[in-house]
Amino acid sequence: VEFTKVAADPSIVNLGQGLPDISPPSYVKEELAKVAAVDRLNQYTRGFGHPSLVKALSEVYEKVCGRKIDPLTDILVTVGAYGSLFSTIQALIEEGDEVIIIEPFYDCYEPMVKMAGAKPVFIPLRCVSNFLEITNFITFLIHNALNTVINVFFFTFPVSQVFTLEELQVIADLCIKHDTLCISDEVYEWLVYKGNKHIKIATLPGMWERTVTIGSAGKTYSVTGWKLGWSIGPEHLIKHLQVVHQNTLYTCPTPLQEALAQAFWMDYKRMDDPDCYFYSLSRELESKRDRMAQLLKGAGLKPVIPEGGYFMIVDVSTLNVDLFEVDEKQPYDYKFVKWMIASKKLSAIPLSAFCALGTKKQFEKYIRFCFIKKDSTLDAAEVILKNWNKQTD
Amino acid sequence: QTHFVFHSLQAKMSRPVQARRLEGIDKNIWVEFVKLAATYSKVNLGQGFPDFPAPDFLREALTRALSGGNHMLHQYTRAFGHPPLVKILAQFFEKLLGRDLDPMTNVMVTVGAYQALFCCFQALVDEGDEVIIIEPFFDCYEPMVKMAGGTPVFVPLRPNPPKDGKLMSSADWQLDPAELASKFSERTKAIVLNSPNNPLGKVFSRGELGLIAELCVKHDVLCISDEVYEWLVYDGKQHIRIASLQGMWERTVIIGSAGKTFSATGWKVGWVVGPDRLLQHLRTVHQNSVYHCATIAQEAVAQGFQRELMLYGKPESYFVQLPKELQQKRDWLVQSLDGVGMKPIIPEGTYFLVADISPFKSDVPDVPNSDEPYDSRFAKWMVKNKGLAAIPLSAFYSEAHKNNYTNFIRFCFAKEEATLKAASDILQKWKQEKTSS
Repeated sequence: VEFTKVAADPSIVNLGQGLPDISPPSYVKEELAKVAAVDRLNQYTRGFGHPSLVKALSEVYEKVCGRKIDPLTDILVTVGAYGSLFSTIQALIEEGDEVIIIEPFYDCYEPMVKMAGAKPVFIPLRCVSNFLEITNFITFLIHNALNTVINVFFFTFPVSQVFTLEELQVIADLCIKHDTLCISDEVYEWLVYKGNKHIKIATLPGMWERTVTIGSAGKTYSVTGWKLGWSIGPEHLIKHLQVVHQNTLYTCPTPLQEALAQAFWMDYKRMDDPDCYFYSLSRELESKRDRMAQLLKGAGLKPVIPEGGYFMIVDVSTLNVDLFEVDEKQPYDYKFVKWMIASKKLSAIPLSAFCALGTKKQFEKYIRFCFIKKDSTLDAAEVILKNWNKQTD
Repeated sequence: QTHFVFHSLQAKMSRPVQARRLEGIDKNIWVEFVKLAATYSKVNLGQGFPDFPAPDFLREALTRALSGGNHMLHQYTRAFGHPPLVKILAQFFEKLLGRDLDPMTNVMVTVGAYQALFCCFQALVDEGDEVIIIEPFFDCYEPMVKMAGGTPVFVPLRPNPPKDGKLMSSADWQLDPAELASKFSERTKAIVLNSPNNPLGKVFSRGELGLIAELCVKHDVLCISDEVYEWLVYDGKQHIRIASLQGMWERTVIIGSAGKTFSATGWKVGWVVGPDRLLQHLRTVHQNSVYHCATIAQEAVAQGFQRELMLYGKPESYFVQLPKELQQKRDWLVQSLDGVGMKPIIPEGTYFLVADISPFKSDVPDVPNSDEPYDSRFAKWMVKNKGLAAIPLSAFYSEAHKNNYTNFIRFCFAKEEATLKAASDILQKWKQEKTSS
């Protein structure tokens, strides 16, 4: 919320907040226009998810997961993936529970876990070596076996690492051994780059019955402002999310759900075709990723090339910008971003925003850029980055 | 180590997977009755939504937003409310409340009034707090209070039928002042007020609101004021906002709904209006639960309000036309029901009315010691056998009081003429079958 305000200035090139400034595909916008004309679609629909949408979701994910998914009992449509996270945490986590969160993490996980009265247990990833600290993980789990729920985040937002099958297997084995649940935030599931494959942890043996998988229309179709997401899992878990939902907002907007359903049907039909938006978007983003990385390197910064998602974290310590006189209590990356916004008119988000209090120092040399931006935005960023060294004092 | 793991696993396996806060709130009348209506009903006067279209100007606003070329309307907007919407809401409510409002701190947009209610309870009610709820009430208040760890304390509206044998009005259902006062304790954190009231249609008078206000001020209690039906008042009655009464602004959160205001329940746009000292806490809940509401719906609703601000008080105003239209529908349904012997309670507001179905009880025999309240069984039988959907009044009562009234069901009359006529036909036929048998 803090950085949104700062970057609302139109003179600043905004690569901070994770929202696309590219247009959603035209057929998605057209479907919404069509829907607006149908009377009954302006009134309440089924609380747990508009029938045509849950049906479309079940078909798409049945294909992906290779298992039968019941649209009425195994799916809940929520207000964005954010709403799914909230419903899942409120439904399954309570006072006395511990929840493992891999750092860096999407910043809402911590307050949501606390709001449910539980204790977050952080396990930091080592960004440099890009693999999971496996020994740490096991130690934590053994000591916290009772009442532990694991939060596992693919793409390790915002580091954007795609977990390999071996890494997922380690997590799965631990979940099964200690009978823990898994909340898998897979909002960027379609945004995987060459040489990587997104594997759903719920498809590993023994995992379906203990996993809630979360998805997002906003990230799938570049319509973050539609605020539609979903939770998919076994009935014995989803039914509790449905109870939370019926006691918090009851139902999601009808016209948006219908339009989304139509868009899903269109892409479902071409899931074996490279033109399917699920694949074409990631191709488009891969070239933006590569362009961004080049520009940053050119300015003397050190980007960590993401395997998926639309964020890139960048090591800014290479520039050695002296920000000593600025408020010392703030982590370096916060100060760097504020300086960069003021002096370079370019915005990003400090990586320590995605770390718990205790770990912020470890990640304070990194900032996060979002590259799901139209060419003119990236062009403007290019100008700034090319001129960077000419102005640094 | 294996020993430890084994025991901890045992403990885990014996504990339910769901959180304790879900205890006692898993049942939901709408999930059940909406399914029944979808399966059996030919005429649906159950769930509260219009079957006539949303006004043209609203749909045009959405179309304009979509064709405008601003594709950023498909992306996140300001979390606490899309700027054009909070600005116009502030302007509108400044007029209605007679006080200055800051759109950034005195207004917040929510996913329907339902989510506004959720934010209120989560933000303001704690473990051990008591919340006074006036019965009959919109059913979600009770589970929401419980989910927040609070204790609901119920106080009934009691019917005082007119002595001249005329049909009852929702105005005849009243609070007993002494009884109401007795419900306030030192643990009372808030009272939920819903005026115009769902399901009865009662529009609380200035005197009644004054009574509630006095008690709130005296006991330093908050007021959660659900005013979603604020524009639907009939017979020249006036909707009075409790927040405008002495000492009430600083302790009241007003809840509103675009769904009810603009007959577009499926858009799920609602709002809260109130003092910053209360709204700041609702913002905290909001940013940790949904964070943003859908942008494009907010954009269109903002335009709808712009139009209404310009036409305020004029005959073309939707806020003038809609209640006029609905009053006619109300009167029509009242006649139909009275004509077949179901005694309606004439509502002063909302688009609901409650009717006494006593003459038809013989079709659904009583089942002594049944878990289910009679009116619920009756309503289910009616939708399955007559194809007419309505909601039992017991749905709007706490568990302990569900059997206080056994003969009432609630009808929604925000329906096309054809729908109301079809309902009337079903009732007429039903009555004929009874008299001839």
